[in-house]
Amino acid sequence: MAELKTLDLRPGGQTAHVWEGGDPASSALLFLHPVTGIPRWGDALEALAKDFHVIAPYQPGWGPAKDDLPGVRDGLDLVLFNVDLLGTLGVDSAHVVGISIGAWIGAEIAAIRPDAVQSLTLVNPLGLWSENHPGEDLFAQHPGHPTAVLFSDPDKRAELLMEGRDALDAYVEELLDLRASAKFLWPIPDTGVGRRLMRIDTRTLVATSANDNIVAKEMGDIWRAAIPGAQSVELADSGHLADLEAPEALSNLVRDFTLSGA
Amino acid sequence: MKFHWFNLMPWPHLPDDFRETNRSVWVDVDSKLYDPVEGHRVYNEYLDQLEYAASLGFDGIGVNEHHQNAYGMMPSPQIMAATLARRTQDVTLLLLGQSIALYNPPTRVAEEMAMLDVMSGGRLVAGFPVGTSMDDNFCLGSNPATLRDKYRENHDLIRRAWEDPEVFSWNGEYNKIRYVNIWPRPIQKPPPIWIPGGGSVETWDFCAEMGYNYSYLSFNGYVRGEALMQGFWNRLGELGVEFNPFQGAFAQQIVVAETDDQAEQMYTEHLQYFFDKCLHVYPGFADAPGYRTENTIRAGLRAGGAQGLGIAHTLTWDDWVREGYIVAGSPDSVTEQIEALATKLQVGHLVALLHCGNMPDDKARASTKLFAEQVMPRVKHIWEDYEDHWSPKPIGSQHVATPAPVLSAN
Amino acid sequence: MKFHWFHGMPWPHLPPDFRDRSNSVWVDVDSRYYDPIVGHRLYHEYLDQMEYAEQVGFDGLIVNEHHQNAVGLMPSPQLMAAALARRTTRAAIIMLGTSLPLYNPPTRLAEELAMLDVLSGGRLVAGLPVGTTMDACFAYGANPATIRDRYREHHDLVMRALSEPEPFAWNGEFSKLRYVNIWPRPIQQPIPVWIPGGGSAETWDFCAEMGYSYSCLSFDGRFHAEEVLDAYWSRLAELAVPFNPYQGAVNQTFAVAETDAEARERYDPHLHYNWYVGKHLDPRWANAPGYTSERTMRESGAATQAPPTPEPSFDERIASGTLIAGSPESVTEQVEDLVKRLRVGHLIGVFQFGDMPTELTNRNTRLFAEHVIPRLRHLWGEYVDHWSPTPLNRPEAIGRDQTESKTSEQAETLELAGIN
Repeated sequence: MAELKTLDLRPGGQTAHVWEGGDPASSALLFLHPVTGIPRWGDALEALAKDFHVIAPYQPGWGPAKDDLPGVRDGLDLVLFNVDLLGTLGVDSAHVVGISIGAWIGAEIAAIRPDAVQSLTLVNPLGLWSENHPGEDLFAQHPGHPTAVLFSDPDKRAELLMEGRDALDAYVEELLDLRASAKFLWPIPDTGVGRRLMRIDTRTLVATSANDNIVAKEMGDIWRAAIPGAQSVELADSGHLADLEAPEALSNLVRDFTLSGA
Repeated sequence: MKFHWFNLMPWPHLPDDFRETNRSVWVDVDSKLYDPVEGHRVYNEYLDQLEYAASLGFDGIGVNEHHQNAYGMMPSPQIMAATLARRTQDVTLLLLGQSIALYNPPTRVAEEMAMLDVMSGGRLVAGFPVGTSMDDNFCLGSNPATLRDKYRENHDLIRRAWEDPEVFSWNGEYNKIRYVNIWPRPIQKPPPIWIPGGGSVETWDFCAEMGYNYSYLSFNGYVRGEALMQGFWNRLGELGVEFNPFQGAFAQQIVVAETDDQAEQMYTEHLQYFFDKCLHVYPGFADAPGYRTENTIRAGLRAGGAQGLGIAHTLTWDDWVREGYIVAGSPDSVTEQIEALATKLQVGHLVALLHCGNMPDDKARASTKLFAEQVMPRVKHIWEDYEDHWSPKPIGSQHVATPAPVLSAN
Repeated sequence: MKFHWFHGMPWPHLPPDFRDRSNSVWVDVDSRYYDPIVGHRLYHEYLDQMEYAEQVGFDGLIVNEHHQNAVGLMPSPQLMAAALARRTTRAAIIMLGTSLPLYNPPTRLAEELAMLDVLSGGRLVAGLPVGTTMDACFAYGANPATIRDRYREHHDLVMRALSEPEPFAWNGEFSKLRYVNIWPRPIQQPIPVWIPGGGSAETWDFCAEMGYSYSCLSFDGRFHAEEVLDAYWSRLAELAVPFNPYQGAVNQTFAVAETDAEARERYDPHLHYNWYVGKHLDPRWANAPGYTSERTMRESGAATQAPPTPEPSFDERIASGTLIAGSPESVTEQVEDLVKRLRVGHLIGVFQFGDMPTELTNRNTRLFAEHVIPRLRHLWGEYVDHWSPTPLNRPEAIGRDQTESKTSEQAETLELAGIN
């Protein structure tokens, strides 16, 4: 159904590790993963692949690309990675869906390369900071279960993130994915994208999860207000990682929003 | 064997219910627990103790860096070292150390250590810790994903700032300076460098590569420290470095009294204060993502999970002694335990934590005096067959300046 | 009136042909001129001189921060302040100062100020300059285009870190910290702040806004300083700040001897050294683009490169006001004139300059303390000084094992012996 590919993007450039699924003739959808990367080709991606040509890369530093972290310093480097990837795949533009840190990357792409983005869905976005709504510190968690806070129920971590994988490898990957996130979000997740959000002229939907301990609903309002014409919506019954906790609701939301504007 | 008297400078007035009412002694500890007027007395008392230890013949006196921490009140240990440089004459100043990745630019460290080496007449040991995750990442906001890389760059820049007599430019990943040319320059070229660390594999390789001393600073004691210290020596052996005990240092809580029983009576409450309150760290601050490398995470897990989260506060005096959390008892008992420590760990430098927790001045001095007079003479011969390349080489006595007597200004 | 004793800590062994052999005394000065073994003795002599100044009655001891500079050997004045804190009991310890933009994150500076205030029993004054362009931009690589914004942000963060009891997050342009919660905390709330500066309009407004004391550090003499301070006091008045002489300080070099003739004879060679090496500054280092604000550039007139001036004679120094010299009587007259013209409550005395040895330095210090200070102490007596520290009354807390008590008679003997 889907395949994990390795692609060289350009001579002297990055190597991409990317999941690709769905009908290549369908509309392209660039999926930008959350702080926890892509633990597997999961239900959310599978559902989206019914309607879209899903392109889901590991950002440099995450998962199999863990050793590529030194090659990226900032948001611009991440934008160029994703733009190069689309170019290598022969995709001129895509619907962009970003969750968590991926939402920040998606917003940067839309601000810098509006021609490459057909629509933008930002789910539980990180990248702006409000002293009034700081949320839990994603990085100050018990090292025994460092991502439990990302779930509406901490016990879901074992089931949704760790299950079916080698325990040691899964734990190490969990920590290394957080390391990559920290490179861009430490110590306060203000990436500076707030200065560029007004440039976004793509149809945009901002979604927040009802039980997200990290990104408060009010942060969704702040994002929506900063992006011209953006809409917002709430995802019930999910923590920060809506791709893992609410795959069906997420894919429905993306499908409805994205296709309604087509 | 060399003995260094070390004071963490803990705040001695944490309340009885500290553990219940505070989540951490570090990072977000309640600042209202601190009283600066009492702090003035405490600082001066601790500095007096360091000077007292120097007068009793300890080889070195030591200070270190912690931030937002109620058991280590020296955000800038160089400030304490400066006072000691001016008030002691021939003792080693163990600055263990300055967290070099926290300085932007790190030429500041090169300058400060040069000042201290000059002030002290070449008595400085330069400690270059990576620093804890609590200090580096949570208190000073340093990025854990790049911390070690930055540590290495800062190290290289400091060394060059000390040793290159020419003006040079530095175009690093983390520092860009067009004209590096520090004044003053250190007496020692360079001061001996010690790397305090918890047990990361990269640190051992770094010590091997650079010929630096590795200082294992844990509060878990010499029994639990053995496996890790042996790991260090084995790694040096693998890398073809010839064994020399002075390339290793170990920090140990020590209390001495006239008899074993008296030691227990005198010191239990202060050690309990230390283990119970001072080591009460919120686990979420212990290890920011990226602080440990993948190798260290995997090695740690193979060795049996997270260590150092501290169970000592649940133990009794006998457990502490048996498991080596403390070296304690009469001078005879302590001598035996130091011999055992030296055998197990094979270290030439002992960082003696002779002030613990909320220990009052008279007890700290009593313990220190007994150790200096009745233990040190019996164990200092250990490792005498080896040459210590990791102690400072001070200027000759003909060059040493004597500060003018302090006059009463009142 | 308060009298403070300033040490620049110059290197006294630059060669007589230094100007021919070197580009500049600052930034790229040849490190091989420095000898750390000689430097060891020098640091101790300089600290001895400062402690001596406390003993003979000065109110404050002043250290400052310079980098890569052969006439200012204190990259970290904090270390000198620390050494003084444990060897003195009464005098204010004035760091004039620490260059705010050079601490990243600046919470380090807040921590160090707190440590020093606690260590000294509340005797600290925090001087918070931007730092010279030589130090900040060239030696430390700070960006001149953003340095003033950085200064202001660092200031706000340091002040909040010193006073806010709860942990707080700081999301600034230059610093991002999730948990600011420094230990220890200072005794003084707040620590008095002095802002040293050459005379920029922004600095004065900042002092008015924050209630800080402005220190005019001019090396062009007291007549030039008079113009600067006139403008400062006028600006404060415009901003409706009531006049208080203690809200201002000025530096002044002194050469005191038994007679005017003796002053000329004994101090002239050291004045020469000080001028010859200290003024040898490559003008390229003097003003990195952006360091001076547009407002200051416009208010100070078109950029002019001052032509090199010949070394002034002893009399010319006195005439221009860069030097106050002579017998205690002449010096007293000149100081009284200075204080009345400049209307400052804090006088920053420079008693050691160039390659002046300890014995002469201490003599200069003692003559001023014994004969000048008592005659002028009463000046400004009708004003309250809000810019000096308010220390604990616990001098017994000084280190107990090494303190010795000496009488003033012994003090004089030690001074004559050059202390060491």
